[in-house]
Amino acid sequence: MEDIHIKGVHEAYFMPTVNFEVATGNCEISGESYLEETTKFYAPLLAWIREYTASVKGPLNFDIKLSYFNTSSSKCLVDILDLLKNYQKAGGLVTVNWYYEDSDEELEEVEDFILETGLQINKIPMD
Amino acid sequence: MEGAENNKHRTTDNIAISYTGIFDTEILSVLAKEIEGTLSPDDKINKKVFKIFIELAQNISMYSLEREPNSHGTDMGVGTMIIRNFDNYYEFSAGNRTTKDSIIPVMEKCDNINSMTRDKLREYRRLQRNMPAGEKGGGNIGLIQVALTASNPIEYALVKCEDGDYFYIVSVRIDKE
Repeated sequence: MEDIHIKGVHEAYFMPTVNFEVATGNCEISGESYLEETTKFYAPLLAWIREYTASVKGPLNFDIKLSYFNTSSSKCLVDILDLLKNYQKAGGLVTVNWYYEDSDEELEEVEDFILETGLQINKIPMD
Repeated sequence: MEGAENNKHRTTDNIAISYTGIFDTEILSVLAKEIEGTLSPDDKINKKVFKIFIELAQNISMYSLEREPNSHGTDMGVGTMIIRNFDNYYEFSAGNRTTKDSIIPVMEKCDNINSMTRDKLREYRRLQRNMPAGEKGGGNIGLIQVALTASNPIEYALVKCEDGDYFYIVSVRIDKE
């Protein structure tokens, strides 16, 4: 199993930066997410989490620092959080830190992800 | 942007940005940069308008009845977007050709969204977000997002064209405070 490292791009579409590390279980998704083929971009990330939780079975520490994501991306983020919730239910150690920009709407959105997935998410204001 | 109209900071009718033409990736990115960078001195407002722009522009790209090939030969929707700058708010409008049959359900969705409190709307978004991709009705989520981001009702109008098609216009206000 290998790490995932994707450098974020802000051009016609916005690709987030992704760093998933097998050795530590530290995972980061940051920047902006507005993609031409959202499902195709997120599929390997979901596959990585499935493989990690099935074979490595270590702790997972997710830092999500997205200053913008469109609604298609938000569906994929729910899929990630659902996998993390399932892993936690099965006894896996999961921490999720969600860094949000200082607006009521963005805080609401994190709260909705918590309600939607049943996962505990630490809400942290971005600097 | 050949054949298209792209006027920035026009003084008539309070228009800040307007565009009519094909809604393809390259043009959307130019418009996105204008909105993100120069529309308002308040970055929070720019971000709100940008979020609304992305969702509504995608609808034009995908669903406009009028289509033209882009530089890669892919058919993309043709439409119009206008951002007007008033003293206390911006007004974002997007329009495209459509058929009456296909747009009536969209107008009903707007009515439904407008009838909901913010908490109900958030609940509706959670519900829609959990629908499998491609599921009928999944497209609602963009409109729900627009209403939540704007914190104002979605206004719409349907105008009959001379050739029998219809032109559908959706507008939202984004308050400056």
